[in-house]
Order: sequence, then C-alpha cells, then structure tokens
Amino acid sequence: MAEIQLTSVEAFDGLLKPVGDVRPAGVRVRERSTLALATVMVRKGRRADLANRFSDAFGCALPDAGRRTEGNDLAFVSTGPGAWLACREHGGYEFSESLAETLSGLASVTDQSDAFAVLSLSGPRVKAVLAKGVFLDLGDAAFPEGHAAATQCGHVGVTLWRRPADEAGDPVYEVAMFRSYAESFWHWLSTSAAEYGLTVERAG
Amino acid sequence: MLLLECPYCGKRAESEFHCGGEAHIARPETPAELDDQAWAEYLYYRTNPKGLHAERWQHRHGCGRWFNALRDTVSDKVVETYKMGEPRPDASNANIPDPAKVRSA
Repeated sequence: MAEIQLTSVEAFDGLLKPVGDVRPAGVRVRERSTLALATVMVRKGRRADLANRFSDAFGCALPDAGRRTEGNDLAFVSTGPGAWLACREHGGYEFSESLAETLSGLASVTDQSDAFAVLSLSGPRVKAVLAKGVFLDLGDAAFPEGHAAATQCGHVGVTLWRRPADEAGDPVYEVAMFRSYAESFWHWLSTSAAEYGLTVERAG
Repeated sequence: MLLLECPYCGKRAESEFHCGGEAHIARPETPAELDDQAWAEYLYYRTNPKGLHAERWQHRHGCGRWFNALRDTVSDKVVETYKMGEPRPDASNANIPDPAKVRSA
C-alpha cells in the first residue's frame, strides 16, 4: 500500500490577495498559520483552583470575561463563562497535550489548531473596516489592548481580540473563526476593505 | 440598533441573541401522573401578557449562555436581564405595569 502524504494547507490558502489602492494600504492582513490553539473549559467548582494553577504554571491570571492575558509565551482569550481559547506560537499538536497535562483535573482541553483560522488585521483604517462588520464599540476607551469578545463579524461567528499596536503605531486585531468560514469571511473583508486598500503580509 | 445586556458579556447587538420563549416554566415533577389538560398547559399554554414579560434568551453568537430577560411587550424595552436560576426581579421601578402583579391584586 502506497504511503499517504498529507500536506498541510492554510485556511486562507489561495484566497488572500491585495485589494484596491495599496499606495499605501489602509489595512494589512496576515494569516496566523503558526498559532496552535486549544479550548479550555473549567470543571465544575474548580475555577479558583484553575486560577492558582494558571499563575503557578504560566505566570498569568485567568482572564475575566472579555479579556485576553499573556503568560510565558502563550495567551488566553476569554470566550464565555468558564471557557477560554489558549494560543501558543509554533505550539504544534503537542501544545494541547501539554496544556491538558498541566490543567489535569481542573479543566477540559481540546485541540482546535485545525478548527480555527486566525487573521491578524492592522493598519491605519483597520477600525473603519471592522466597524462595518462588528456590532461592538471598538474605540480605544471601550476596546483597548487586552480586550476580547466572542461576537460576529460580517455575520460570521468570530472571537476577536486586540493586540498591542505595531511598529507603525497602528492598532492590531486578531480574528479567529471556524476554518470553513474562511472564504465567507474573506468575501466580507475584501469587499469592506476595498475602499481603503488591503495588502497581504506573509503568513506566520 | 437594539442592545441587550448579556449577564456575562455586557451590552451586545440584538442580532447576536435568540429568544427562547417564556421563562420560569418548571417541568412538572411527575409528568406521568398529570391529566392531558395539565400536561397541555405545561407544554403549550403561555401568558402572552401586554406589559412586562419574563423571557429566556440565548447569547447564541457570543458566549452561548442562556439567561432571562424582563421585556415590556408594548414598547419592546428590555428592563432587566438576569442569570438562569435567579428569581424574577422586582421591576416595580420600571414604571411598566407588571401583569403578574395585576393578576394577583
């Protein structure tokens, strides 16, 4: 029997391309294909224990509703009561396994690396674009760095969070959606960003 | 845009939510002992008031949680939202006639 060769394909493979006038572009998009993801759901009555385990193991607090915290080379995004999305750069499939071991008995951990597609959106007009699809106040006072929300963007269910500003001083958001919605989301994004110009940065 | 306050996420657009009908309807402890009328009343008979109405809502496109809301069916104003399991709040300050109180008076 011939050996099966599986090649990993990014969720936005073949979709992302520059749109509109990009001299200079109002929005920059980059697929976060190297991010390992896992959902963490606390077991009944173990929230306080989980918070302690978090500070011991990761050096960060368990984020409250609508927040994102960063620990030792990983980040947690609150997605609902007792539920978080854990992210680690270049974490690979080992990430959810080691996380499950660390949180053993306190939380259920499920690998989501292949389930979600994550885009990083930045640029001087990124807020104007997101405002066309998100029913949230994205102003600096209402949604600063470290804030997160499980919501909709262009009628696609997303988890949205804000990162620190980039080198150019422009705001940076990351949007996670179910992978199979990549094409629908790109349809919304490419249409909404066309008037400002959109460039694609190398995935990573 | 109509905003609803999810007890977990805060104020969000109504389009993120889904209404699940009247709240505080307890399933009978012993359904097998009920006659057809009592069972039908549990399943189908609702108050449909003009005024304050306690409803179940789900933050379907957000945290996914169910909660309860007190809504005025005349103005569509949501007076208060509260978590599942909490008692129906006293909304006498809301200046909206509460049919539950009007009936018992």
